Order: sequence, then structure tokens, then C-alpha cells
Amino acid sequence: MAEILFPCLFLLLALGVPVAFAMAISVFAAVSFGSSYPNIVLVKEMFSGLDSFPLLAVPFFILAAELMTGGAITQAVLRLAQSLVGHLRGGLGHANVVSSAMFAGISGSALADAAGPGTMMIRMMEKGGYDRAYAGALTIASSVVGPIIPPSITMIIYAMQDQNVSVGSLFMAGVLPGLVITLAVLVANGRMSHLRGYASGAPMPGLAEIARIAFYAVPALLLILLIVGGIRFGVFTPTEASVIAVFYALLVGMFVYRSLKLRHLPDIILRAALTSAAVLLILGAARAFAWILIIEGIPQFLAETIIAWDLSPIVFLLAVNVLLLVFGLFMDPLPGVMILVPILAPISFALGIDPNHFAIVVIVNLTLGLTTPPVGSLIFIVSSTVALKPSTLIREMPPFFIALALALLAITFVPVLSTWLPEVSGF
Amino acid sequence: MKRLEHLFVRVNAWALIVMLSLMTLIVGSNIALRYATGQSLSWADEAARYLMIWMTFSGAGLALRYGGHVAITNLQDQLPATGQRVMRALLALGLLLFFGYMVYVGIQYAQRMQYQVTPALRLPFLYVYAAMPVGFSLLIVHLCLIARPYIMAGHFQSREGDDGAAGSMPGAASG
Repeated sequence: MAEILFPCLFLLLALGVPVAFAMAISVFAAVSFGSSYPNIVLVKEMFSGLDSFPLLAVPFFILAAELMTGGAITQAVLRLAQSLVGHLRGGLGHANVVSSAMFAGISGSALADAAGPGTMMIRMMEKGGYDRAYAGALTIASSVVGPIIPPSITMIIYAMQDQNVSVGSLFMAGVLPGLVITLAVLVANGRMSHLRGYASGAPMPGLAEIARIAFYAVPALLLILLIVGGIRFGVFTPTEASVIAVFYALLVGMFVYRSLKLRHLPDIILRAALTSAAVLLILGAARAFAWILIIEGIPQFLAETIIAWDLSPIVFLLAVNVLLLVFGLFMDPLPGVMILVPILAPISFALGIDPNHFAIVVIVNLTLGLTTPPVGSLIFIVSSTVALKPSTLIREMPPFFIALALALLAITFVPVLSTWLPEVSGF
Repeated sequence: MKRLEHLFVRVNAWALIVMLSLMTLIVGSNIALRYATGQSLSWADEAARYLMIWMTFSGAGLALRYGGHVAITNLQDQLPATGQRVMRALLALGLLLFFGYMVYVGIQYAQRMQYQVTPALRLPFLYVYAAMPVGFSLLIVHLCLIARPYIMAGHFQSREGDDGAAGSMPGAASG
């Protein structure tokens, strides 16, 4: 079946068939023409891929993020970021990066971060004297933390592909690596602002003023503490956390910031439903895809082959980095996780690599793929919101590529960054 | 015809809104109930999961209408304008055939499962698995409705055109 499955999938993807349908068509072609199994097993697999309680966290976290990214909440977070780091050289740029990290704790998707708060920050930076292309490139780089700092749609999907990790353990594992990435992008922005002579923003407000601004942003930032704290201390499961996040976002938006009106709700819920449907459809097809891989014994075969090479875990991780970065050039993280994790995770486990650490390496790698041409959804989304050609944005990316690559190396070679929090949380 | 299309899109949209809201309310009240009384509804998890299955399949078509399905169009964009149109026409035709096939397979599967019932709700599985043929039928209708602008220019319907708020799909489907 594999000799039909892979060529068919790559051909359909190259022709421009949506990922969900390309996967579904190739699994049906592989089973119909390459095996004696009845097609109905694929339908069964698609349903069992979707029939999962932990998976409910995907639509709920998407809905919570849609509810939280209304005008007043975004403003409050941006103002807090600005008051904290705005007075430094390249201050508005720093504020962009810090607010991205804060929003990563509200939404679980890099693209949602770049499209919402990212767009507002680019406008502010341009007014503050930055090149629009530089502001766009910085937003692309800083949005990478979206799915690394919890909550994270990518992590929920990953946990469904690898039995050795859970959504809770991955959420814990992502916190420190997310901060490492944030720090790396901050340093790059500091360097570039120095070279280009970008001014500092407004002077730091007085302590009382900062406290006032922070107090105003607290309800928005409390969500991340609620999620991480609740899971860390075992008060609730990630799925429960996702529903609590929805109701929390609803209450905060309607009664604290009062920017969310009842008449906005149908449209917000519809957006969340459509985005979820698109994600979950790929997931159903990916489950049938993984079924074929397992029936064909591909993960075991690859695992045995690669283990026979007697690689050290370090060499293996480096090889995985290269493989995933190349893969990420052409593929988005969610389909990437669904196709590659069933193959790679068993190998890494057999080599004795911590499953949480490996998961973070995979997720960071594939998320970096969103920032690279030719297929980089972050580039496309920023390019369309700021009306610049993708090539103009990409010219400004090299310093950030270096920063992100260094962060990736740190995350790869310092496993404790990803393993410490899950361990002390009892996962 | 335009009014009929408008009505169809509205009904599809409201069905999705109701399903996601119900999922949230069911799981939310189950948590509240458990913390308050220590008891939980046995059917709540099951109902939420089946609503999610229905939301996925019945949302796929509307997501297609707004260009919400991730695709890699770089190669396609390299073709000359006529080549692009021919290519997209072929893709649309191929997808229609595939959707039709999925309706057929989906009906077969749902019928095969009609005598089994779900554990908690005692609902025949037919009603759960009908989501697939219904969803792919909706995909056929939605693809036909947007076929012209899609084939001619690669365009999808904008949300504003259907009284939605401004802005395209956020694209979280990519990550």
C-alpha cells in the first residue's frame, strides 16, 4: 500500500488539493488498489480518530482564543507589554515580542497570534518609525511561540499520536522553551534596533502607572495562570481547562472589559466552528493514514533500521532537526505532526530520549516551518495584513532566523528545559 | 437562486453555531455538576463527542466556501492563467467525484452500524455515522456554489459577503 500512498499524497499536495482531502484520497486509493482490505476500515478509522474526549479541547481552546482577542483585551495586553519594555532601545519591537508571548498564553495557534495582536503591533511600530517590513518580519518571528507556550492546538494533536506523552505534560514542557524563543527574538530585535538606530519608545511610566496598567491587563493574563496552574496542581484536566477557558473568556469579555456584546457571539462561535472543522477533518484523515503505516509496519521497520545504525541520541536529534526543518519548508505543523510523529516517536523512545523533550523538539521545528518559504503560512498571513510582498518580508528575516535557530539548538541540547516542569508537576 | 444560496449558507452556519454552543454547555455543566455535587451526567461526554463529529463533517463544506482548508498552491500559481484555470477545473471535478464516493461509502458504513446503539445515550450509531454522508453531500453543494469564481480566479467567498464580520479565516488549521 505504501507504494501507492506516498506518491499519491505528494502528487495531490503538489497539485494544490487541500491537505485533508489529499490525505483521504490517497488512503482510499492505497487500500482500494494496493490491498485486499475493505474500504470500510478507513471510515471506521476516521471516526475513531474524531471520537475522542481529549480532542474536544481543540474546538474549545480555539473558541476561547476567538473570544479573548476582541479589541479591549488586546489593547490592555499591548499596553502592559509597552509599559514594561517600551523605554528600551527598539522598545516597540520588544513590546511586540513580549505581547506575542502573553497572547501565546491565551491562544493556541501561531497564525491567530500574528493575525490579531500582531497586526495591531505592526501598525504601532510603523507609526513609531520602524520599517513596515522589519515590523512584519519581527511579528512573524515572535508569533512562533503561539503553539509552544500553552495552550496549544499542535500539542493536543501531538498527544493523540504518541501514547508516551499527555496534553498536560506537553503543556508543562512547552513553557520554558517558549520563553527561550521569546528571549532569543528579543535579543535579535535589540541588536537590529541598535544597528538601525530605532529609537526607544515612550519613557517608562511611574510605578503607580505600571501597576494601574498591569491591573487592567490582569483579567486577560489570568487565563494562562488558570490553565497552567490548574493542570499543574491537578485541579482539572486539559479538556476541562479548555471549557473553563471558554466561560472565563466569555465573562471577562462581557463583564470586565465589556467589549464583547451578545450580538457578536454567533459570528465568533461560527469562526471557531469552521476553524475547528478544518483541523479535525485533517485529523480524521490522518488517523486512517496512520492506520496504513502501522499495518504496513513502516514505523517498526524504520525504527529497527535506524536503531541498527547505532546513532547516539544527540546525532539522532540533530538528524531529526534537519529532516523536520526540510519537511517544514513544505508542510504546516498540524499535518506534519500527524504524518511524522507516528513514525518518529517510537524511534526516539527506543533510543531513550525523553518523550516530552522529543515532542517539544518536533513541535518547535515544525512551527519554525511556518516562517520559511516557499510554504510559510505566517509569512502569507502577515504579508496579506500589511500589504507587503512575501519576498520583501523574507529579506528582513535573516537575523530572526539566526535567533530562532540558536533557540532551537538550545532546546535540542538542553533537555532539562522541556523535562523539568513536567517532572516537578508529576507527569 | 441567490436567495436560496443565502438561506442555505445561513442554515448551515446556524447549525454549526448551535452544535459548538451545545458542546460547550454540555461539557461545562458536567464539570460544574461534578464540582458541586460530586456526580456527573453519564451521557455528557458521549453527546459532546458526537456533536463534535457532526460539527466536523457539517462544517467542512462551509469552511471550503471560505477557503478555510489548507492547501499548497505554490506550483499552481506558477502556471499561466489558462493553465491555472484548467488545473482548478480538473481539481474541482476530481474533488466532486471523491465527495460523491465518500457519500456512498459513508451511507454503506452508517447502514452497517444501524443496529448497534451507543453505550450511554442508547442512540443507534446510524445517527452518529450519518454525519459523514451528510457532510460530504454538503461539500458537493458548497463546491458547486463556489466553482465558478474558484476555477476562474482561484477565489473563495468572503465572510463579509455572507453578513459575517470582516476578516478572513484565521487559518489556525495550519498551526
